Amino acid sequence: MESGSDKGTGGFSAMDDYETLISTTDADLLKRSWRNEKAAPEILQFESSLVERSRAQIQLMEETVEEFMNSGEDPLTVSLYQMDIDRTVFLLRSYLRTRLQKIEKFMFHIQKTADLWSRLSRQEQKFAKRSIEDMEKHLDQSVLSKLPDWYKSHLKQSGTSEEDDMVTEPKLDAFVICRSRKFVGGLPVDDRQVNNMSFYKKGWGDYIIYSKVKMKKKLDKFCGEENPLDMYAGDIYALRYKSIKPLIESGQLDLV
Amino acid sequence: MYGRKACQLVKELTNSESGQLTTFNNDLFAQVIEECEAHFRDLQALFMKMQEEGTSNQTTKNPDHFGAFMHHLSLVRNKRCIMAYVYNRAEVVQNLGWAVELLLPEEIEEKLSNSEKEYFKNHLATLKSYMTDMDIDLAVDMVPPKDPYIKVRVLENMGNVALSDQEANLAMHAILFLRRTDAEQYISQGKMEELTV
Repeated sequence: MESGSDKGTGGFSAMDDYETLISTTDADLLKRSWRNEKAAPEILQFESSLVERSRAQIQLMEETVEEFMNSGEDPLTVSLYQMDIDRTVFLLRSYLRTRLQKIEKFMFHIQKTADLWSRLSRQEQKFAKRSIEDMEKHLDQSVLSKLPDWYKSHLKQSGTSEEDDMVTEPKLDAFVICRSRKFVGGLPVDDRQVNNMSFYKKGWGDYIIYSKVKMKKKLDKFCGEENPLDMYAGDIYALRYKSIKPLIESGQLDLV
Repeated sequence: MYGRKACQLVKELTNSESGQLTTFNNDLFAQVIEECEAHFRDLQALFMKMQEEGTSNQTTKNPDHFGAFMHHLSLVRNKRCIMAYVYNRAEVVQNLGWAVELLLPEEIEEKLSNSEKEYFKNHLATLKSYMTDMDIDLAVDMVPPKDPYIKVRVLENMGNVALSDQEANLAMHAILFLRRTDAEQYISQGKMEELTV
């Protein structure tokens, strides 16, 4: 778990430009993890050390506010501090909540995919296990126990299915809006041959909605073969999650 | 026609507004299960017949084989439909766990099947146990906070209650200025309402 969260932060500490240096407070990191988690279709690595640090800081702030209140500090100052705490606490809660909701949704998929399972925190794993038990019991009671043996599995349609074909999986090829933190050159948008028509349709609408989008390349060229995408810092694109997944994990792209 | 009833169940699901539950359709559900059993009986009968006649499963031009296959497919389809029905309802029930405290309002509870009620209780306990483990209450703060204090109207007499920063007399109709974190739990229980502007 530790190594995973290091991977998340380590990726961009390597690029030591001023922009990134000033945006590396834990509150900002938390905000970014929260946004990524909200926008990504699948569950991401749990930021265990970040969550721990944030909680420690929240507690410290709360103590400070209490001290201020007792020492008769200006109520406005106290209220500003309080507001700051409230916002951070909201971020933290929403972050954890979003993750739990994803676990609820994709519990069976997460359980059988070792890579995803290892992204959960210890408590989340416990939560997932219990959720799965609850759901299995419920499905069994309501439906499966009433079906013939051959059809009793909650993962497979019947005994003839070779793979688990009844498991809800996240849509990894869904479009997400992402912003690059720095120049990313030669991004292979690998599924364009198969999907370029749908990219036209869906992608174009996204471009119109996000008027800030700077189109460095003409759409034609973008969809053509052998034209990897160059993203400059601050560019916003609508891309398939699948194709930019590694860049999000390494912190080069942010989801918005 | 095979599979029609199961399809009706799914339609019921899609016709209801998302996030809302309709009464669990026990009747139709039981009929679909019955249909499944009938399919399985026919399926077994056909297999028996094929075995007696010594025709191989592999011969593709055997009418009994196709018959059995049809029953199998119908059964699988029915299973998919009822699983979708139950699973999607269970997802709504899951979401209820975030919105309500401990007890379901009566009008929702009467729409659930027994197993769903049990599932709700179990899942809520699972959620609560996670929150205890993490020592954080995730049921509050559902919307981003703007102000630390909000204006609320009390809808139910609750007497003197110690809040995090003060002791307040929560009498009915009183309009108070409370900390958002204090007020939120009462709002979700329907004991207070937030006043905007």
